[in-house]
Amino acid sequence: MKVIEAKIVVLGSQGVGKTSLVVRYIGKMFSKHISPTIGASFFTCNINLENARVKLQVWDTAGQERFRSMAPMYYRNANAALLVFDITSVNSFAAIKGWVKELQSNVPEAMVLSVVGNKSDLEDLRAVQSSEAAQFAASIGAQYCETSALHDQQGIDQVFLNTAAALLKLSNSNLVSSLRSYDSADVDPDKIPTGTPTEEDATHTGKVELPAWSIDSIAHGHVQKNMCC
Amino acid sequence: MWFGPNLQRSYKYMMFASKMPSLRIDQSDLKCKNGCDYFGNPQWQGYCSKCHREQMQRQRKAEKESSATLPKPEQKKPERGLRIPSHSSFSKFEEKRLRQSETLKKANLLKFSVFKKSSTDDHDHSAEKRPPEFKIPGIVNEGMKRDFRTRFPQLGPAVDRDSRLFVHSFIMDVIKCANVLSVDELSERVQRQYQRFMKHMDTSSHFANVEADTKELLMDFVEKHAMTYLHELPSVVFSPSGTDDERLDRAMSERIQQLSWVGERHLECKLDRNNPDCRQLLYKAISELLGMDSALSPGDKLSRVRRCCRHVLRLCSAAPASADDLLPALIFTVLKANPPRLVSNINFVTRFCNAQRLMTGEGGYYFTNLCCAVSFIENLTAESLNMDKKEFDCYMAMPASIGGSAWAAALSLCGAVREADEQRAHAQKLLTHTHNIHTRAEQLAANAQSFEEQIAKKVQDVLTKTPLEIKPRRELPRLGNLKEINTAPLIDLGTTTAQEEPQTKPEVTPEPLAATLLPTESTEPNITIQPETEPKLNILGFEVIERQSPSKSPQNLDQTWDLKQTSSLELLTPSPLGFTPFDSRSIDELMTPDEFGTDQLPPGLSNINYDIDLSDFSGDNSIAEEAPKSEPKDPFSPEALRKITTFDPFAPQTSKGFETALDSFDEFSFVDQRKQETDPFEVVHRGQDPFSPVELSKDPFFAPEKQSTSILDDNDTPATACLLPSPIQPQSSNKPT
Repeated sequence: MKVIEAKIVVLGSQGVGKTSLVVRYIGKMFSKHISPTIGASFFTCNINLENARVKLQVWDTAGQERFRSMAPMYYRNANAALLVFDITSVNSFAAIKGWVKELQSNVPEAMVLSVVGNKSDLEDLRAVQSSEAAQFAASIGAQYCETSALHDQQGIDQVFLNTAAALLKLSNSNLVSSLRSYDSADVDPDKIPTGTPTEEDATHTGKVELPAWSIDSIAHGHVQKNMCC
Repeated sequence: MWFGPNLQRSYKYMMFASKMPSLRIDQSDLKCKNGCDYFGNPQWQGYCSKCHREQMQRQRKAEKESSATLPKPEQKKPERGLRIPSHSSFSKFEEKRLRQSETLKKANLLKFSVFKKSSTDDHDHSAEKRPPEFKIPGIVNEGMKRDFRTRFPQLGPAVDRDSRLFVHSFIMDVIKCANVLSVDELSERVQRQYQRFMKHMDTSSHFANVEADTKELLMDFVEKHAMTYLHELPSVVFSPSGTDDERLDRAMSERIQQLSWVGERHLECKLDRNNPDCRQLLYKAISELLGMDSALSPGDKLSRVRRCCRHVLRLCSAAPASADDLLPALIFTVLKANPPRLVSNINFVTRFCNAQRLMTGEGGYYFTNLCCAVSFIENLTAESLNMDKKEFDCYMAMPASIGGSAWAAALSLCGAVREADEQRAHAQKLLTHTHNIHTRAEQLAANAQSFEEQIAKKVQDVLTKTPLEIKPRRELPRLGNLKEINTAPLIDLGTTTAQEEPQTKPEVTPEPLAATLLPTESTEPNITIQPETEPKLNILGFEVIERQSPSKSPQNLDQTWDLKQTSSLELLTPSPLGFTPFDSRSIDELMTPDEFGTDQLPPGLSNINYDIDLSDFSGDNSIAEEAPKSEPKDPFSPEALRKITTFDPFAPQTSKGFETALDSFDEFSFVDQRKQETDPFEVVHRGQDPFSPVELSKDPFFAPEKQSTSILDDNDTPATACLLPSPIQPQSSNKPT
């Protein structure tokens, strides 16, 4: 079975619900116990697809404007990004556009982008039309989902599932060197239903996971994309 | 292939893109020098990344062509790391300070380089002398071996050897290149080494059975050992020469000091300094962060950071804490901790940590956060704290010591509390320890007590089993005559000794018994009637043998009364020296049967002997003969009997012993002469011997235990028994004469 390890970064303005989105997602995994010490800022999970397993490392970022300048540190070497905005806030949607530009200019390798409109339960206060968002997402080659961290588990699952699937596709295309994939025989796909995230015990033990990044990719290697310069 | 790795590996670099807004320079200034309409970067000499890359490539090519053989000179990169923002209000002050520190740093560098050179020279020397290359101290190898065995007990020796070989070659490589390459090239090289090892693990047959997880652990292991050693070498990997690390450390430290006024409200993190838990967590986080400097390998440093961040996460009141909470809290922690050599540490980890690990995983995430915090602190402005510029300037102008004292106080309080806790724990431990000792002492005391009781009980048992029966012992009438003269004054003495007998017995008996065991056995068949006599006799015999009678005999000769005894002895014994026991025994036998004469009849033979001897003797002492008649019953009392025996002329040895004892008492202290003192007792016991041989036989076993107590009695008894008689005796002896 193919196993892919990928780093996914969650970006978005402050207050759009990045954390609650993540918490909601982890909450499903950690339904028995949510350890407050782990926090929602960093976690790893496994997503099982039909013929592969995707190990996701989810990096949450601080959304405050003053930490905006630190973002490059976070999304460096990321393979996927969740761009979260608040459907009740136009500004947050505009910020997404900024993020996309920044990612495109600073990340040399192909990334899986997912635009997530959060707080879909606040339909009454909607300020960003879903068609507009979907259009934007399509323009940058991203998927668009609307979720509600409050009520909608399905949407959130879908976001991660889609991302995992896209990552799998990306790894098949061999375009990206930083995406580590290897074959593993120890996984029985029947046991874990497709699309279910399973808790990575490494998160608890603090074990460090080591996907084999090539040294070239770390240092913004020579793979040149036309987005930068 | 590698372009400006210094830039890429620096956390600073990551800042670049978004730092533009705060620069407030005209946009045209930021464009690429080539005019390609992209933004340039001062770190790329004003080019955009693409143009810079091309530029560099061209440069490299030229370099290679021109001076391929020449070692690359060390590059100085003042732009690396912290840049002092020229627009910040305190820049002048800071710049001045930095200039100072720079000169310092230069001096330092000089010093360091000298040191380094000398050290490498040393290496060279040793290299010339012994092996062709610098030798890694064996302790590294040993340490690796040990560590490997504890960490990977399941792996074979081949793996162990491979990893050690790798570490060796790795260290050698780094040391060789350290002087030639710039830091970033070195870091690149190190990373390649890591890769090489990874590849080796993937391909080598030794590692075929090793799990992927274990391989990663092996990687860590290798990194740890190599880097731990290299870290110790001055200016090789940690704040290497040719970098600004040290200066930046100082600048950072000063900067943090300047910012000590920044509190939790500025950073909008919810910390409560009045909450002891919160303080405690912050304290822990800070100590972890401070511990980062003392960790040697990048991996250890990373795990310190991870632990620190975990504390910080718990510090964030909101659960589960998100990055929104983590980062401000971490910034706050860094500000309060002001860790030493922060920039050097971060650069060290960035450069020489296994990149795979650094880029991913929890450790990587937290380290990224720490980098963020540091860069935030570097670039901290009024805006980033959401405060008025003037206020900010005011704060910055203020002496560093004023601000933040509340938290400092809280933290020092925390430290004090912690110390107190530690001390309390220590005291608690000591307390339990002493308590243990106390209980054990009590137990010991109880044991001693019970032991004593047990012994007492045993003694009691023995005493009850073999009660003290003082059987009247009759004197031969003629003997009695002799004695009565002596005994009459001694009666009271005799009673006292009689009472003490049971106690004194055990002490006195052991030594003679041990010596006399054989004789008793041998004598037993002979003496059928009175078993009690045997031990006495033995005792007597023993003493006699020990004490040369001949030497004493002259003394005895001087005394009128004793003279007779000795004479009697001589009469009785064929050889006065050696064979007294037999004779004395016979005498005693003779004596005792007569006393018991009413109850039991002794064998006739002894009687005959006895009669003969006594008659001879009594014939000499006419006065003595009359005495017994006046007090015929007295002799039957044990005291009297004892006295009689002691003074019995027929037991010349005893009398001798007694005499010697008396002499010794006169001459020496009681204590010194205990042995001799005991002798008279034995004589006394002889009278009590009727108690049965059983008792005597048992006594020796108790004797050692009872001795301590009995010794006192011993002292008393001789005093009473022997001291008193001595003045009396002459009288008695004189009287008859």
